[in-house]
Amino acid sequence: MLPHNATAVIARNEVWTGKAASEPYECGWAREAIVFLRALDTPRGIGRTKARIEISPDGIRWVPSGTTLALPARRDQITLARLAHFGNWLRIAADLPKGASVKILATIHLKA
Amino acid sequence: MSEMLRDLRLADPAMSRFDPMRRIICFDDFDRGFCGWTQLVGNYEHSLDTMNPSYQQHTQPQLSSVTHWDNGTHGGWDGTYALKIQTRPRKGARNVAIKRLTFRKPCPIRLEFYFTFKPEATELRLSETDVRSVGFLYDLQDPHEGGKRIMPHLRFLNAIDGAHVQKWQFKRVTTEVKPLGTEGKTVTHDHLAPDGWEDLPGGHQKLCYNEIPTKVNWHYCRFDFDLAAMRMIDFQCNDRVYDLSGAGPIVMPAMRNLWCMLNIAFFAETDADKRALSYIDSVCISGDF
Repeated sequence: MLPHNATAVIARNEVWTGKAASEPYECGWAREAIVFLRALDTPRGIGRTKARIEISPDGIRWVPSGTTLALPARRDQITLARLAHFGNWLRIAADLPKGASVKILATIHLKA
Repeated sequence: MSEMLRDLRLADPAMSRFDPMRRIICFDDFDRGFCGWTQLVGNYEHSLDTMNPSYQQHTQPQLSSVTHWDNGTHGGWDGTYALKIQTRPRKGARNVAIKRLTFRKPCPIRLEFYFTFKPEATELRLSETDVRSVGFLYDLQDPHEGGKRIMPHLRFLNAIDGAHVQKWQFKRVTTEVKPLGTEGKTVTHDHLAPDGWEDLPGGHQKLCYNEIPTKVNWHYCRFDFDLAAMRMIDFQCNDRVYDLSGAGPIVMPAMRNLWCMLNIAFFAETDADKRALSYIDSVCISGDF
């Protein structure tokens, strides 16, 4: 049987401001993942703000995994992070400066 | 159906818990992956901003091991994974997973599945009124021009505004159909809008919820629908069978690109500012052909 491979759109057309995070995504069946972030509009005031990959013991409480990726700094720019060994849940979080915003498309590409 | 076919299915542990009609259209066991179930994305044209906000909230279904903070992995009916439909943590939020097929013969079809539901276990309380509803629908269209689009909906209204009502409902109305964009080709309507649900006569049912928010029990459902007459036949949940002759689907004029459509969807709604989690262990859709 071919290994499983799936793409999850976990934030679509969401405007991130302040303390932002994607909805939790359960994907413990996957051994590896790539997270892509794409700006759907021109970001405002984000500077060099980084997003962070968070993992969780229960899908409710979140811990930074140590992996970060830049928020896309211009419209249609795509940033990415490669992940492995992440347990059962993933989410993407970012703390944006006051007044900053980015309209995001966040996707996770998973392989068993 | 021949006795041999019935016996062969009864002897197969994977099929024996279902009671399919002669032809199995699909048998989805989520230990084998997503099996064609994806998120219900709203319609749009030129910009995602044109999408109806009620569809913007939808997210991807998940392959879940039904794992909880206090007792670990629960697993599915007979394996590790179930399909999880998870709302956002906002009272009234909903999410929908869908499988998109077409039909080859207008005839009776049967949807069977095993399901359970729980709120996200963010409180050390029973939380039995935090999930508003779980339900399912078909989105169908006649094969011929001049026909109709038909959308039978059923939901288990578990709770509303904190009242633990526990009853089955159906729906015959959708919202106004509105054009999207500028090309005159795409429209939107919200058939799962909160208004217009009607009580199924005799439709009160108490389901096994168990004693804390992290213990789940699986339930069986069967829904028979006639694609020839586009009529609901009957519906079963666990030990209860409901006559649907007094119920009906949403009916609207056929749309330009949906001929012979056979979409099946599962949905969940939350009644609290916490995520509702609806789990589907396996699905069998069969037809009388």
